[in-house]
Amino acid sequence: MRIQVNARNRGYDFDARAGERVLYAGLAAGIDLPYECATGTCGTCKAKLVSGRVRDRWPGAPGRKFARLAGEFLMCQCEAEEALTLEVSKFVYPPEPGACLPQVCGGTVREVRALTHDVIGFALELERPGDFDAGQFALLAPEGIEGYRAYSMCNYARGGRRLDFVVKRKADGAFSEWLFGADREGARLEAFGPLGKATFEPGLEKNLLCIAGGSGIAGMMSILARADAADYFSRHEGHVFFGVRTMKDAFFLDQLSRTKAKVTVALSEEDVAQASAWPKLRFEKGLVHEVAKRAMAGRYQNVRAYVAGPPPAVDAAIRVLLLDAKLTTDNIRYDKFS
Amino acid sequence: MAKRMVCRVADVPENTLKECDVEGGLKLVVANAGGEFFGFQSQCPHQDVPLCEGLFDGSTLTCHMHLWQWDVRTGAPLGIAEAPLQRYPLAREGDALYLGGESTALDVGELFNGLAGATLEKLIALAKKETHPAGAVLYRPGDPAEDFFVLDTGRVEFLIGRGDRTAPGGFMLKKGEVFGWAALLEGYPARIASARCLEASSVLRISGKNALRVLEGDPVAGFTVMRRLAALIARYLASSGAR
Repeated sequence: MRIQVNARNRGYDFDARAGERVLYAGLAAGIDLPYECATGTCGTCKAKLVSGRVRDRWPGAPGRKFARLAGEFLMCQCEAEEALTLEVSKFVYPPEPGACLPQVCGGTVREVRALTHDVIGFALELERPGDFDAGQFALLAPEGIEGYRAYSMCNYARGGRRLDFVVKRKADGAFSEWLFGADREGARLEAFGPLGKATFEPGLEKNLLCIAGGSGIAGMMSILARADAADYFSRHEGHVFFGVRTMKDAFFLDQLSRTKAKVTVALSEEDVAQASAWPKLRFEKGLVHEVAKRAMAGRYQNVRAYVAGPPPAVDAAIRVLLLDAKLTTDNIRYDKFS
Repeated sequence: MAKRMVCRVADVPENTLKECDVEGGLKLVVANAGGEFFGFQSQCPHQDVPLCEGLFDGSTLTCHMHLWQWDVRTGAPLGIAEAPLQRYPLAREGDALYLGGESTALDVGELFNGLAGATLEKLIALAKKETHPAGAVLYRPGDPAEDFFVLDTGRVEFLIGRGDRTAPGGFMLKKGEVFGWAALLEGYPARIASARCLEASSVLRISGKNALRVLEGDPVAGFTVMRRLAALIARYLASSGAR
């Protein structure tokens, strides 16, 4: 089915298959349609129907509150029932050369392991190799379960067939309940990706500041893997702040001990022990954005910041980066999954 | 019209923002920038988020949702913001702020916003206000590109190409947006697109030649306008990676 998109600056058209969500079809066709979460929460992919009919797979999506006027809908939740003409009130650009276009790919769950009492790590072995940039995420759904969830890749490899993920248990999260509910070794998943613009390339040539709360550390692991492979921290500073409640919520501490970046683990609800099994890591008591603010004062020259985690933690960190660090907005990259 | 009170001065402490309900029904966000007060539309032009929930350091206003930013003195977009804020002049009398009239589309717009008063006055004097019904065509490919337009209200869409070989070329919907800017360029005497009102629209029509003459008389303003025009054109040429 033909989809015509009229954006503020020009028009685009692309094809969507029956049952394919409009956003995913457009992104796969290389059109940089606006989105952030791609899973119905943020409302960024709002569009207005000019002609044609769509089917809304999730009319109760939280992001619908940003799309309440007649004809408005979320491109990430709607599929075309016939040829469509849409209006998107944003500037939409063709992709940059070399960008990794997202696609649907099946895969098998491997190496499922508990990282903490409520975090599981696993690898997804893809049916075919693909590229992604460090810091990107993918949408995952077990075969036969409706609705994707977004998870950042923890690893980095070009042309690889393996994606590493961490998933925190959430009481109402369909995917996490599925994963925690039984042994899923060998289970089949459908993935759509890569997505997200909080990416890192060594050509950036800036000092890195990574602030992550909880499982938000996932994307930072990918960025660190990319940077360490290029020996980036022999030329630039790297500062990582990883916020967790207590030591029993911390994970990846062995991997974080191997990066050449300086890593601080912020414990929000526990005093720091005298001795630790990870001598290369610093431990501090406090909320992660406060710990980062104290440690980084006066060190914001030529900094690119990456932020990920629960929305309140991300908002608090962004406030520090704008008001205290005076970073420009193009040097603050963030993912706010909820 | 009766004076419309916006708020008490004491309601907006220095370097903070406050959302105010203006007498007669209008919502503004008021910023106190080191003792000077500026009024703007209360919602972010991006996704209708209240700007009073944003961040403000006394000079730059940031919407917390997607980090769009504006210069608090002019409402001009900064960084990744794609649209200016509509500014509402405020007048202080004693311990209260009142609405000081509405700014014109020219002053709000991305090209001329914040220019020196005398130059802006001259440009405003050149502007002819026109209203057009839905469906009206302002120009077609091949028409002489003598005037440019500033949108006041309504909505104008562009079609590139001729006859049945056309492609959508975007649309204008914000007060102050400039189109038909070929009239400000050397060597582009004719339109390459058609401009059609999608709904009843009012626009300011300004002769490109006369506007350039005004800007030649104030080279500082002229340089500002040409820099902004270059950025505006580049925005239509950019790929996603440039942003």
